[in-house]
Amino acid sequence: MADLDGNDCISLPKLQFTPFSSALDAGFWHELTRRKLNDYRLDESPRRIKGYYCNGDPDGLPMRLTLEFSAFEMESATPTRCCAATGLLYNTNTLESFKACDKKALLQKSVEEIWKSIEFDETPDCLNLNRFLLLTFADLKRYRFYYWFCFPALCLPEGVHLLQPPAPLSKTFSLNQIKALQDAYDALCCRTGASAIPYFVVKYTVDSVSISPLASLEEEVRAQKKVTIGVYDPCTLPQYPGWPLRNLLYLITYRWGQVLDSLEVLCFRDRTLQGMRSLTHSLLFEVKLPKLSNASGCPKGVGWEKNQKGAMGPRIVNLSECMDPRRLAESSVDLNLKLMRWRLVPTLDLEKVISTKCLLLGAGTLGCNVARTLLGWGVRHITFVDNAKISYSNPVRQPLYEFEDCLGGGKSKALAAVERLRKIFPGVDAHGHHLSIPMPGHPVNFSEETMQQALKDVQQMEALISSHDVVFLLMDTRESRWLPTMIAASQRKLVINAALGFDTFVVMRHGLKKLPVQDSSTSSGDTGSTSLFSNIPGHKLGCYFCNDVVAPGDSTRDRTLDQQCTVSRPGLAMIAGALAVELLVSVLQHPEGGYAVASSSDDRMNEPPTSLGLVPHQIRGFLSRFDNVLPASLAFDKCTACSAAVLHRYERDGFQFLAEVFNSSHSFLEDLTGLTLLHQETQAAEIWDMSDDESI
Amino acid sequence: MDYDSCNTDLHLGEKTFQLSCHNFIQHSKAIGDGWVWESIEATNEGYMKKVLLKMKNAFGYTIPEQQKIVNEKTYRQEFEVQDTMDLEEIDISSIDLSGREMIRFEYHVVYSSSYQVPVLYFRACDIDGRPLTLEEIWQSVQENYKERLLEGPWETITQQEHPLLGQPFFILHPCRTHELMTPILKGAREEKQSVNYITAWLSMMGPVLGLNLPISYTTATSAQQLD
Repeated sequence: MADLDGNDCISLPKLQFTPFSSALDAGFWHELTRRKLNDYRLDESPRRIKGYYCNGDPDGLPMRLTLEFSAFEMESATPTRCCAATGLLYNTNTLESFKACDKKALLQKSVEEIWKSIEFDETPDCLNLNRFLLLTFADLKRYRFYYWFCFPALCLPEGVHLLQPPAPLSKTFSLNQIKALQDAYDALCCRTGASAIPYFVVKYTVDSVSISPLASLEEEVRAQKKVTIGVYDPCTLPQYPGWPLRNLLYLITYRWGQVLDSLEVLCFRDRTLQGMRSLTHSLLFEVKLPKLSNASGCPKGVGWEKNQKGAMGPRIVNLSECMDPRRLAESSVDLNLKLMRWRLVPTLDLEKVISTKCLLLGAGTLGCNVARTLLGWGVRHITFVDNAKISYSNPVRQPLYEFEDCLGGGKSKALAAVERLRKIFPGVDAHGHHLSIPMPGHPVNFSEETMQQALKDVQQMEALISSHDVVFLLMDTRESRWLPTMIAASQRKLVINAALGFDTFVVMRHGLKKLPVQDSSTSSGDTGSTSLFSNIPGHKLGCYFCNDVVAPGDSTRDRTLDQQCTVSRPGLAMIAGALAVELLVSVLQHPEGGYAVASSSDDRMNEPPTSLGLVPHQIRGFLSRFDNVLPASLAFDKCTACSAAVLHRYERDGFQFLAEVFNSSHSFLEDLTGLTLLHQETQAAEIWDMSDDESI
Repeated sequence: MDYDSCNTDLHLGEKTFQLSCHNFIQHSKAIGDGWVWESIEATNEGYMKKVLLKMKNAFGYTIPEQQKIVNEKTYRQEFEVQDTMDLEEIDISSIDLSGREMIRFEYHVVYSSSYQVPVLYFRACDIDGRPLTLEEIWQSVQENYKERLLEGPWETITQQEHPLLGQPFFILHPCRTHELMTPILKGAREEKQSVNYITAWLSMMGPVLGLNLPISYTTATSAQQLD
């Protein structure tokens, strides 16, 4: 067979090789990023790097050249059963230079180097036949990496013809021979201290197999006609050898092609499955060595890797998920919250909490603490409304501000709070509005201009409430709560209200009115299932103003400082702010949400209605006694903020009605709701006051 | 009985951790299971590591259609066809293997000194090095396994920086590990049997993440422990 002449070859099939697939691990990109930032900077000169290919994959896996975290350390150990391959990293500074880079020239340069070493170097073991090139551009702003691998291979112009097609070793070798091959290979590894040997020479007879280093090839060729070469073959395909054979065949053709007609190739494949080592899937075949004319010069090369689509082109990998600190913060926060579900509350619906859009009216002590607790729950959408600027006394109590924020007249609270939230958690979707909330008893009719401003403010408030799921009332005056209370009641939005005294607080959810269609039953006085204080369903619960028998007016006038509710024990706002958010979360976990029946202090021993526990109407705290109570109260049909009469007028007359409220004394609302009448009927107003005498 | 002092005894010290890993790796080498010890330069710290490769289609994972479209779009925007035309040359001597994609799973066993237990760190990467999100990994879990996982260990997965590498990994949270291990270690102690902590622990945690432990570890590593 070996003496076929050139013309007969045409009928013989040609040998084909399996190209390498580049394989990178995340650690490689992390390390490249680190080096680019710290060492390479703008230096584009090529760097030596290191990859490896391994033997022993199960069938079906692509044949890889792998680069890991350790690729930049030339001295790092190669994993066991793997052969090292060295390469050059060309990291460009711009995408343009990545594109403009002359890939053909890079390849040709590498091919020439291999060819020169084949031509001149004496010891084939020192040859670096398995090299690679890696062209990269690291876009560190977008965490995108562009890359293109090249595995340079020297081409034999006519290819290589197969005299014997590849067949599994088990067809040719007996079990004893295979065992002997394994022992001989292991012995050579042992002798040379290598964990894998890329190329070697095999000699075998019926009952013996011996293996020697590639360096012995020269004498083998001279000593005998038939030579068998061994290749540590990373490929698992039964028909094709892997890429590492290709340059070796060129080497052998170049050096001994004139002497050798044919060559036997053993693709050494060595794998262990479930503890059983096997070489039987190794391949054995014979090729006819082509004749190279001595003057042929440096051959043509191939080797740029195709991309995932099978076309010649670079690949792009987007690593923002694992490198962008913002994305990392987001996923860590979410996953960390999820732990709560596992540890304690399996049915916790976090998605509901995270996706709730929260409007915070007031960015003072309460607003700051509420916002921080919302962040803790992973809430993304937070909007602040406040008209104040940060003053020197604020930062110590209002955790979103710092001393610097007070300078130069002070920053706007609403805007500064947003800035700080983004610093704490860039994933937050925060907005701020520097806005005054019009209030009853605070006239706006000084001029056309002030009326227009009030109209604008009202419209903005309506739009804000409409675009959020929950409204937090966190202002420091009572009457500023009136407008949002009423608008939210009209829009059927959940309201969480927190208010502070000196050492007392109230945190409550407002009753959530039923939708107008179903509304007929609410005012009809069906007290069948609900008594005055227990089992009150959400739609019958009172609002902040329901317990008052006066309409809101100017509460800051004619009062001493402590009555303005602005001085309280410093811990109070944190407690109340935190409770306000926790109350919201509990409400969200209830299947009926804001319509949930109010839990009271009596329910403390009963089966809780949600996975997080009770869903009270109000939490009233008394710091002097370190005690909380959970009262519940019915909506008041003469309420100045949420009664049907008020809502009806607002829905009918809109701003016209509101302007009347702002501009009139508080008797206007009291007249409208019938409170004036009530006042005349009873003199016992004091018992309704919000006081710590209350006990349920 | 003094429950507390008994518990303290069952905690895993760092030395025992390394010794157990060493025994474990010894057997792994014997059966070619792929576990190795990675030590951190200039410290006596290290971790146990295994890389597992799976074919993408075999494992049920496909790139979400949306992402495919985005990928293609950015690609077309940035690379004109002619950029690469001159390299388009037919190489008759190589076979075309495009479309053979795989996922690389990486498992690290790291010692946690605050919990005094081993912690399983893991990530899965595409062949280009992009780590899969937890949702993508979840897709790879077989349907019939999902329900059980949701009740238990899957919910304990969180994200953390690898303490020795500084790169983001997923972990199975260690706060219940001790609780899970105590009955096993106690039972073994009562029956005067030796148990390799790492083997016992990994055989519980591993399957959650597609890491199966050949049964031979149990006998091989506990025998070593007795020596």
